[in-house]
Amino acid sequence: MRILGSLLVLGTLLIAFPAGAQSLLRARLNSDIVSTDPGTRRDENTDGVLLHIVEGLVGSREDGSVGPMLASRWSISADGRVYTFTLRPDVVFHNGAPLTSAEVVWSLQRYLKPETRWRCLEVLGPTGNAPVTSVTARDAHTVEITLARPAPIFLTTLARADCGATGIMHPDSVRADGSWNGPIGTGPFQLGEWRHNQFIQLKRFPRYAALEGPRDGNVGGKHALVDELRFMIVPDSSAARAALIRGSLDVIDHLYPSDLMGIRGRQDLQFQSVPILDCYTVLIQTQDPVLQDVRVRTALALSIDTKALTKAITQGSGSPNNSPIPAASPFYGAVEARMRPVDVARARQLLAASGYHGQVIRLVTSRRDPQMFDTAIVFQAMAAQAGLNVQIELVDWPAHLARYTTGNYQLMVQSFSPRLDPTLSFGLFIGDKRTEPRKVWDSSHARELLDEATQAADPVARQAVMDQLNVDFMDEAPAVVLFNSARLSVVRAAVTGHRNWLSAQPRLWGVGLH
Amino acid sequence: MLTYIAKRLLLTLPTLLLVSVGVFLFIRLIPGDPALVMLGDGADAASLAGLRADLGLDRPLPVQYVTWLGHAVRGDLGRSIFSGEPVGTLILQHFGLTAVVVLTAVTFATLVAIAAGLIAAWRQNSKVDLAIVGAATVVLAVPSFWLGLLLLLLFGVKLGWLPFVGYVPFSESAAQAALFLVMPIVTLTITESGVLTRMMRASSLDVLHLDYVTHARAKGLPESTVLLRHVFPNAFAPTLTLVGLTLGHLLGGVAVIETVFTLPGLGRLMVDSVLSRDYPVVQVCLLFTAVVYVLVNLLVDLCYPIFDPRVTAR
Repeated sequence: MRILGSLLVLGTLLIAFPAGAQSLLRARLNSDIVSTDPGTRRDENTDGVLLHIVEGLVGSREDGSVGPMLASRWSISADGRVYTFTLRPDVVFHNGAPLTSAEVVWSLQRYLKPETRWRCLEVLGPTGNAPVTSVTARDAHTVEITLARPAPIFLTTLARADCGATGIMHPDSVRADGSWNGPIGTGPFQLGEWRHNQFIQLKRFPRYAALEGPRDGNVGGKHALVDELRFMIVPDSSAARAALIRGSLDVIDHLYPSDLMGIRGRQDLQFQSVPILDCYTVLIQTQDPVLQDVRVRTALALSIDTKALTKAITQGSGSPNNSPIPAASPFYGAVEARMRPVDVARARQLLAASGYHGQVIRLVTSRRDPQMFDTAIVFQAMAAQAGLNVQIELVDWPAHLARYTTGNYQLMVQSFSPRLDPTLSFGLFIGDKRTEPRKVWDSSHARELLDEATQAADPVARQAVMDQLNVDFMDEAPAVVLFNSARLSVVRAAVTGHRNWLSAQPRLWGVGLH
Repeated sequence: MLTYIAKRLLLTLPTLLLVSVGVFLFIRLIPGDPALVMLGDGADAASLAGLRADLGLDRPLPVQYVTWLGHAVRGDLGRSIFSGEPVGTLILQHFGLTAVVVLTAVTFATLVAIAAGLIAAWRQNSKVDLAIVGAATVVLAVPSFWLGLLLLLLFGVKLGWLPFVGYVPFSESAAQAALFLVMPIVTLTITESGVLTRMMRASSLDVLHLDYVTHARAKGLPESTVLLRHVFPNAFAPTLTLVGLTLGHLLGGVAVIETVFTLPGLGRLMVDSVLSRDYPVVQVCLLFTAVVYVLVNLLVDLCYPIFDPRVTAR
């Protein structure tokens, strides 16, 4: 038995530490990435991995503001329509080619083609809030982007993680026939091997030119401290925890509070909890015969004890919040911080006045993450106290997504990934249901205010519009915003420099091993 | 014999055609849209429509089916909507691993079941019988994922003997791959041995009470000879049927085991494809599973005469 054990341990060690091994950091992903094409075929895991490979002209800083990345500086014309970017001279692509205006123009023009299906085309395309009319190279290191109208949201949009940070890539990323080949970016890591459903291997890019200064969001101090970064696909969280304890994984970057059971307090692990700008909410279909009455929607909102719900669901790690503006946002002011009081008696009065007599209201949820299902359970119980007959309908994630997109629900638990710009937070809710059935707040006044906020460059003016939107949102109750969660991470004691920030993406530059 | 095999294979064609129609329709009846899964929750209508058109999902269902079937008959099983890889290659890659795990585990489970079942029947109502029946019942009741996690915690975490995350394929290192497969195979062996043992015991008991066994004992043959030469061949036939059914069922993928031990097998491929509505992969996976099921059971039928010559005589 002892000999068998020794042989097995030896074999396992050979796997863990092959001869001549370079430094390797292994992080868990709960599912495979969708593609290697930034901002197109994507999900959160895809964004997180690709932001280690590609970089945009600008990027998000630690506090959510926009900072320079591949552009050393930029200027905006007096009419607010023309953005002139000056490129950094020291940047090279992973294939050794220097970064020039030509690659920037090629990348942006590719993104703006409808067939690329870039996620931010809805903002920067012809029908968006910041329509780009031309991208031109003034010289080898100067690029000019012209908009149809002034749009302060333009730079924020370029930096969006879900749009691949508008990563600038070398044209060889695409084959001669126009099909996608692989990202040749400028980031601190380059793509090594993608073995579907097993791992994505990234290799340190030795010629990477990091911006000076400490690590700052997606822009500053991006030093690759390990030779190889491996995102391991481990769907089962129990197996992932066991692998972390065993040393087969170094980083689990996204855990839910319930996942901490059994490992909380271990000395060989480091725990971290950072508030992020996501948002858990219950969306309301305002065209539904029962829920179109604002009194029923308000009763629903008044019956929910947001603080208790948040504590129960997030085990104290989340922030209760009734505003679409996340609690960790710089735009989260006194108005946004006002919580709706729990008032079951008032909720009952409103329901009686509306003529509600116990009709079934279906609440759609899924197990995409444990918090979504748990939220539905607690929400149902709280709403029942006011006499609301909420029934839970559990579906899988693709069905959930389809029903969200088509507005095919009465109530729906939904979680939104972090939006660094406050207009994007409200933009999740506001829109014309005829063209965007997924939007819950179809109000011309709200749309006008959102447009105003999008156009406002002055932060004070922007805050005022946000405050007004927040007040209207609470009055009209097209959704019940519940909480913002925290990104929980666990890393092994040997891991150095791991620190999360407002965004919900893994960030493994600046992370090393003892 | 060859005519029999040809007939059996021919009979599978309508089955497979029905399966293909069923799978094609049912996966599309489930709400959810692969284009939406690919582009995410904020995708605009134009992008969604464009991607659906690219994927051919905007065409009427009969047209989609006939096109797919036409290609499949010519050997083109399509490409994964997500990874873009040829579905045939994808399935064969994943099936290889599942087949190794399942065939090894079922072989071990069968050997365990034969020995345990024969002994339990031979010593009916003794403490040994009670212990074997009790153990088989417990094993039957234990969920495979739970047993897998227990083994993982003991041999992977506590003792540190076996790896369980970061599978290395055989093509890279056979020794390392074998180490990764120990726990999944042991888990599956234990969970499958329960039902096979019960079946082997029951059929052995039936045979042990037949006249020819009494006759064999009366001739003075040793008990081991009676059991192995006279009881086992006749008692094994029903267990063999069950082995065939188990193999066919498991070769379609052991998703739970593959998820717990992060093995890129056919089960995980199928589950991931269903969850992402990767229609081409789901269709071919299920069709492939049906083919495997039919072939395994045909093989089992062909093995019957080895154990029971009366089958050939009939």
